[in-house]
Amino acid sequence: MSPGGLGVRGVPRLAGNAAGRCAAAGLLGAGCLAWAATPQVHRGAAGFALFLAIVCVAAGTLRLALGAVPVPEESFLLPAAMRGWLGFLEFLRLVPWEEGAVVAVLWLEVLHPSRPWHTAFLGAALIAYLLATHLAESGASPRTLRPQARVLAAGAALLALGAGAGMLPAAGPGAGSALLRLIAAGALIAAGGLILPYVARSDL
Amino acid sequence: MPSMEPNEPASRAPGTELALSWRSSRHARRLLTLGLFGLFLATLTRRPEFAGVAAPALLLLAAGRIQRRPPRVTVRAGPSSRRGFEGELMALDVAADLPGEGRDGGEVRWTWHPGLAIAPAGPTAAGGPQARFTFIPERWGRRQLGTLDVVLRDRWRLAEGHATLTLPRIDCYPAPAEQRTRVVLRRLPNRLGEHPARVSGEGIEFFGVREYVPGDRQRSINWPASTRRGRLQVNTFAAERSQDVVLLADATSDVGEPGSSALDLALRGAAAAARAYSGVRDRVGVITYQWGGASWLAPGLGRRQVYRIIDSMLASDAGWARGASFRRLPRAALPPGALVVVFSPLLDQRFVETLRDMRERGFTMLVIDVLNAQPPARRRGAGGPGVDRMARRIWRMEQEAIRFSLRELGVPVVHWDGVQSLDLPLAGYTRRPLAARR
Repeated sequence: MSPGGLGVRGVPRLAGNAAGRCAAAGLLGAGCLAWAATPQVHRGAAGFALFLAIVCVAAGTLRLALGAVPVPEESFLLPAAMRGWLGFLEFLRLVPWEEGAVVAVLWLEVLHPSRPWHTAFLGAALIAYLLATHLAESGASPRTLRPQARVLAAGAALLALGAGAGMLPAAGPGAGSALLRLIAAGALIAAGGLILPYVARSDL
Repeated sequence: MPSMEPNEPASRAPGTELALSWRSSRHARRLLTLGLFGLFLATLTRRPEFAGVAAPALLLLAAGRIQRRPPRVTVRAGPSSRRGFEGELMALDVAADLPGEGRDGGEVRWTWHPGLAIAPAGPTAAGGPQARFTFIPERWGRRQLGTLDVVLRDRWRLAEGHATLTLPRIDCYPAPAEQRTRVVLRRLPNRLGEHPARVSGEGIEFFGVREYVPGDRQRSINWPASTRRGRLQVNTFAAERSQDVVLLADATSDVGEPGSSALDLALRGAAAAARAYSGVRDRVGVITYQWGGASWLAPGLGRRQVYRIIDSMLASDAGWARGASFRRLPRAALPPGALVVVFSPLLDQRFVETLRDMRERGFTMLVIDVLNAQPPARRRGAGGPGVDRMARRIWRMEQEAIRFSLRELGVPVVHWDGVQSLDLPLAGYTRRPLAARR
């Protein structure tokens, strides 16, 4: 048995898979960013949010791409260039880039006027981005997501319901009606949580 | 290089039950960020579509909380052999017992942190319920294999259970040097062995011709000699005897480059000598000298004795005096008439005095000088480079004086660099029996 239980012949194929997953995560992140940023707005620190999102998506993709680079356990007596490179890798691995990208992208979306289906599509793309990042990071097969399919379907239904609730005309003018719609969306999420034990099998 | 008998594989090694500490995975933290920030924005802007954005992430997290997580995991880890030689490729097999788990093989992640002087020969991280790590022990000694981090992920990869296992120790033996020839004493004890003695006996090496006496074997009659002399002559053969060999390893000074230091060379040379003399049925023992103290192993026969000798030398790896005082060593440790083969850099004055004392007590000794280093020269000394040069010259003269004084006492001193075979420096003493001058 070779280390990691991987055959020598399987290594190039696995490396190719990893590169594909990394590229998929990067493209999904870039797509979310472009989707949320257009059309361009100029208020509410939009420029900073755009800059932050670009940096976070790019750095997150770079982290995934450099995840397989081996790091020596002992960094004593290494040349300055090598120590700088190791410090850069450590910085890439420690900072939560994806969380930053999610926050910045959602903030960019908030700056736009209400467009519920656009936001719902962005939500689905963000979930796909996070799942692709997870698969690229852990090297797991996409089959590992199969047990979550029903929960993801329920989540998609809630996402659509949330978007639909956003499109409903308000019962009357004022903040009260908007709050009512929000409570309705929250109730939908709570209902989803209640049916969860029946949807998700507890089989570790 | 000889290989050791294999140890039991990891599947049969005793398991260690480890408590798992579960915490959220990085994936779960990202989903939580999306869910909480979506809810926050929905509340802040009163736009329900952001609550919809938060919903799938929160549902996944809530569903992940329902999954059962084992509080403990049984890990079996064992090296392919508990004993190995320097530079020998070895393996560490690890396996995890998971109740109803491990079917898809991606639930367990291993990260191995090798111990001191253990060089990994492959990746140090692996996945799956079973894994194998390969390594090479770089230097002799009792070596800790290091620690093993076990990360168990739940089926949805939203939580990670962490545990750390301290790996067992292995005995890494010094790689023996090459030695095929042996130094043999002129006067051998009256014990059956393989060295031709200078008396007639029942060996196979021709010793001489004498007149036939009743009782001699007919097959030993030398017919050409009988024809010439007119009387029956018989061939006589040299007796074959064995000798006692005591290896004296000086462990006081470990100078030189790590891996080829004086102590490295002493142990490798002693291991080679133990194998060479045991191979011809000599009784071999060892004394490890350390700062006035000594640990010893009485001479014995057989291949097992070789491993006992190396074990004894490894046990005295602490660098502190232990065991008996050198002056009070029992007769069993240092039998009279034994050949004493000394491996030393001759840097400790007390050890040199001990050698002189042993020589005066009549032991036949042979010193193998394993010193291959000299004091380093400073670039900018307090008195300039000339002072350093002078100090090194004085030091070299002192070393030469020590060796000269031993030779004057009748103790041969040969130098060994640790690279070439031990047969080369010993060539002058292996061609003919070594006589003890009194």
